[in-house]
Amino acid sequence: MPDRSRLSLIARRAAICAVLIIALAPVVWLFSIAYKPTSDIFASPPTLLFSPTWDNFASVFRYFNLGRLLESSLIIALGSTALSLLIGVPAGYALARATSPRAIWLAYFFLIIRTVPAIATLIPFYLLMRDVGLLGTWWAVIILNTALNSAFVVWMMFSFFRAAPVAIEEAALIDGCTDFGAFIRVALPNVIPGLIASAIFCVMFSWNDFLYAMFLTKADTKTISVALLSAYGTKDISWGTLGALAHFSTLPIVVMMIALNRYFVQGLTQGVD
Amino acid sequence: MRPAAWPLAPTFSPRAGRAGHASAPRDRIATDSGRDVTVVSRNGAASACDAAAFSTRWSYARKRQLFLAALAAPALVYVLAVAFGPMVQGFLYSFDNYNLIRPGSRHFVGLDNYIALWRDPTARSAVINTFLFTFGAVTIEFVLGLGVALLLWRDDWFNRIALGLLLVPATVTPLVVGLVFKALLNPEYGMIGYALAESGLSGPRGLLAEPQRALATLVAIDAWEWTPLMALILLAGLKSLPTDILEAAKVDGASAPQRLWFIILPLLLPAAFLALILRMMDAFRVFDIIFVSTGGGPADATNTLMIYGVKQGLEFFNIGAASAVSTVIVACILAMAAAFIAVLKPARNRHA
Repeated sequence: MPDRSRLSLIARRAAICAVLIIALAPVVWLFSIAYKPTSDIFASPPTLLFSPTWDNFASVFRYFNLGRLLESSLIIALGSTALSLLIGVPAGYALARATSPRAIWLAYFFLIIRTVPAIATLIPFYLLMRDVGLLGTWWAVIILNTALNSAFVVWMMFSFFRAAPVAIEEAALIDGCTDFGAFIRVALPNVIPGLIASAIFCVMFSWNDFLYAMFLTKADTKTISVALLSAYGTKDISWGTLGALAHFSTLPIVVMMIALNRYFVQGLTQGVD
Repeated sequence: MRPAAWPLAPTFSPRAGRAGHASAPRDRIATDSGRDVTVVSRNGAASACDAAAFSTRWSYARKRQLFLAALAAPALVYVLAVAFGPMVQGFLYSFDNYNLIRPGSRHFVGLDNYIALWRDPTARSAVINTFLFTFGAVTIEFVLGLGVALLLWRDDWFNRIALGLLLVPATVTPLVVGLVFKALLNPEYGMIGYALAESGLSGPRGLLAEPQRALATLVAIDAWEWTPLMALILLAGLKSLPTDILEAAKVDGASAPQRLWFIILPLLLPAAFLALILRMMDAFRVFDIIFVSTGGGPADATNTLMIYGVKQGLEFFNIGAASAVSTVIVACILAMAAAFIAVLKPARNRHA
């Protein structure tokens, strides 16, 4: 019955649209208050229609050193991502190709490190950074983020390498390729989606984190998340300004996720099938 | 998934040709690049030749192992030093009376921090809140996520775009999620909060200010944030189901609810378990959205172990107490991780 299946398709799509509205409306609403004059934000009852203004973006530049905040966030995110991939990818490969049954336990070790809550590492690490004099620098955040992100990268690349065909690597080795060559030139090109997915997640974790950055950075090294949080508690910062600032902290990651959606999804579902 | 024939059999040594022994039966093949490639045939003669190589050099398998160990070493050393080391240090702090405000007074107190934790009613309510939050949020996310996954099962352009947009909540900074809902639920100027307060569904100060409903509200916020992720993992599970069984059930006249209950759900179990435990481990250590939207209040109604521990450690600088809390959290997460691995293992073996 084509009519009935068409009807059910329309019903499904309507339901999906409803889900999408629920998922997106709060974010859109937060962005929208950035374009509202303060009087409209605090209008009670809340208004849907308003005359847009750029005032809130102007006050972002007045109250915050936006360039510096973005610089901090970017350096921390990219620095820790680069380091995590550099040490995490080879380890993921090694564990995936190791023959010892103990290798899998090492992989589980990395997985568990990633799932341990922030507080377990943060307090001792905070004291350590205080003692070595790195507290308040980007390095402190990069070093800690790299530890947790690289553990994540090891686990993720472990599953990607396991799913990749070994036969080509064996052939390359037989043909006289070095072990390192087989890893770099044969195995790596096969897992590029995994590399992209790992990089996306590292950037996302580091960029979105505020607990580590809140305690490990100081005024001139703080990230945009920390600025957002401290602005939230300040009297003269309005919700409109927060909404405008949230553009800069949220949009980079959302845009990255949508642009690289395929890899994002692949990374999240690797190992499920 | 995993090839059984790795490493190569010991007699089969692709690197032997490099040792410079020219006596074994080898086929020399000239490749188009002009480079000579030596292939060692897999027989006794080759292995006799390799025996000579073994005396001066490590076996291939041994070298391969060392190579892999060298690749794994940096990450292992780094994680041990920067993440695992501090964790162990924190575990040791949990047996000390250690307060940063009185740094000189640090001394060993045995289990006192744990006993104090047990006796503190705030800590006990934090444990209860954490479990309520975790199970509430994960259950809701699973049910809704399964619904969304079933809706998106058909692979067409519409569903692919919808899936991409649906993941936005999971990528929004958790801090911003807390701010969004804090504002939305404000009873005076927030869209949702105003409607709820006007219709009498919430008190005049909004849901987040009501001790009885603040935790449930946070569960709903968490569900908003993470249901898409749950849906995504379940969707991947659905897409990997064997289509022939589903077709057969359809042909045999099983109704849609029957297929869901008797065929789809049982087959989906491994993926569902993984999704559930992963989400549980994350929900158990939730911090950002609670910290921003209620800070643990009102009257400790949304105080979780993470909030409690961070407050003890980084606000009151009571390192001993905070470390005891974090040890408790880690123990709970390790139990979940053990369950996760136990589920993962048979799943792996089945594929192998």
